[in-house]
Amino acid sequence: MEDDASVAFRRTSTRSRKVATKMVAALASSDNRTQAALARLEALENDNGGVETVEINDDDEASLDDDEEAYIQKKQSLSMKRKTRQGKARENARKTPRTFLELVHEANLEAFPPHVPNYLRAAVGPPSVTSRRHFCTVCGFTANYTCVRCGVRFCCIRCQKIHNDTRCLKFVA
Amino acid sequence: MLSTVIVLDNGGGTIKIGVGGDRNPTLITPNATAKPPLSLSKKLLTSDEILSSDPTSLSLRRPIDRGYLLNPDLQRDIWAHLFRTLPLPSPHVSSLLLTHPLFSLSSSPLFELVFEDFNFRSLYISDSPSLVHLYEASRNPNGVVSRTQCSLVVDCGFSFTHCAPVFQNFTLNYGVKRLDLGGKVLTNYLKELVSYRTINVMDETLIMDDVKERLCFVSLDGPRDLQIARKPGKDNLFKCTYVLPDGIIHTKGFVKDINEAQRYQTLYDGEPNSTTSKEKDIDPTDDAEDSEEDRRKGDPTKNEFNLTNERFLVPEMIFRPADLGMNQAGLAECIVRSVNSCHPLLHPVLYESIILTGGSTLFPHFAERLEKELRPLVPDDYDVKITTQEDPVLGVWRGGSLLASSPDFETMCATKAEYEEHGSARCSRRFFQ
Repeated sequence: MEDDASVAFRRTSTRSRKVATKMVAALASSDNRTQAALARLEALENDNGGVETVEINDDDEASLDDDEEAYIQKKQSLSMKRKTRQGKARENARKTPRTFLELVHEANLEAFPPHVPNYLRAAVGPPSVTSRRHFCTVCGFTANYTCVRCGVRFCCIRCQKIHNDTRCLKFVA
Repeated sequence: MLSTVIVLDNGGGTIKIGVGGDRNPTLITPNATAKPPLSLSKKLLTSDEILSSDPTSLSLRRPIDRGYLLNPDLQRDIWAHLFRTLPLPSPHVSSLLLTHPLFSLSSSPLFELVFEDFNFRSLYISDSPSLVHLYEASRNPNGVVSRTQCSLVVDCGFSFTHCAPVFQNFTLNYGVKRLDLGGKVLTNYLKELVSYRTINVMDETLIMDDVKERLCFVSLDGPRDLQIARKPGKDNLFKCTYVLPDGIIHTKGFVKDINEAQRYQTLYDGEPNSTTSKEKDIDPTDDAEDSEEDRRKGDPTKNEFNLTNERFLVPEMIFRPADLGMNQAGLAECIVRSVNSCHPLLHPVLYESIILTGGSTLFPHFAERLEKELRPLVPDDYDVKITTQEDPVLGVWRGGSLLASSPDFETMCATKAEYEEHGSARCSRRFFQ
């Protein structure tokens, strides 16, 4: 976001840039712990369990109802009749799996003049009055200690043991 | 010629769809497709079929990520399914009123969907805060909202939370502040906590959604409640057990003891409720089992788990996102910043007309907590008044239904002819700044 001004007004290519989420995190900071925190926040936006990769076009095994299939087919053939540039662009877009980060990147929000509100500027900034409270990742109570290896919090030696045995360094690549 | 209007609140979590002018939508359904685990069935479940099927281990695909349409193909499949199964007027003889998140990222797939795939006659795109404002203003014609034509809509939904000032039915986009926290993150956070501490429920998104809706609440005094949650046995007012579905007798999960789950209410009622203390006497066996050791564990063979501090630490994140590691201010500060970016003359009115909407505001004590956090941040001579909606999930849809039944709705729409003439770029300029 805080790139030099020349970047803002340069025309960027329409080709979508694919960057793995882990790479984005790695680029944003070289610090392992920050990286781990980012990966965790990213994981919280997943639709399903675990740290997953976005799977596209895995519907081949699963099938819709037959009549539903026909409905969509009909719709598609209707829209495909018109060979417009938009239609072609859509065909292209269909092939590339898109993530939210790519979507934001493609919208090219940095190029907006500074007084125009947009998605990035609408984000509420960092908190001003309150500081972060820490909760034990094992039991949830107030945590006073930090794991020296991965920076995760715990409250007592019992929780530390559990933490070390189970998920120390979980989100660090 | 007056045509029917289909009102479609296309949320990240649920679709609310119905005919304009009605009080309630025809259907509220998940905006997703689901695939059962491979071993069971290969049929893909679409939207409303998810609700009627066994929720265990369904893997969901949602067309919307962080509030924005990411997968138009999937969205088309879901809409096609809805228009085919629901008793709605056919798309090519009706107009569509569609909700869209503030600040469009790319709207062209939306126009293609509406006009090329579904052949709607015309389209109106609206942002949700102005619809909520419209609904509130009409519901209470003598209230502050309708007299000043001004409100601050706090929409805490599935994908994110927005604080948006609305003035004369227009959302002031320079005053909008977004908090990247919504129901989805909260569910995933709860999932993460439970999976680590008791049973692995990482694949049970739908079940954990249900757990969150039934058991989570907003704490009015965090440190005190943490102390209470530490206590063993029946002094612990927060401990409760949720039983997972087994697929044979119970196809839906349920709370094992409703009274046990409601015990925390005694903290807020002032004096201990007589019914709850009676309940405590009835089942002493349950409490006797609890030693300090297995208090947290539940019984893995019985497929149930206990919740204690998770119940209020999860919604707590809306008020303190920093605790989760996000570099964002809490909801109260979000409101203050949103108001401060408006004209100073609007400040007192905005603070007096805060409207809470969106599914995540359904947590018990949400409004009280917000008022408690907001009051110290607002200048003393301004009143703070928080209005809750009777049905926050439907607030946006009902506003849309009102707008659709207004006489000059047709003139505000972009028609199919316009789209074919000018393309999506010109049409989207009509609706987005």
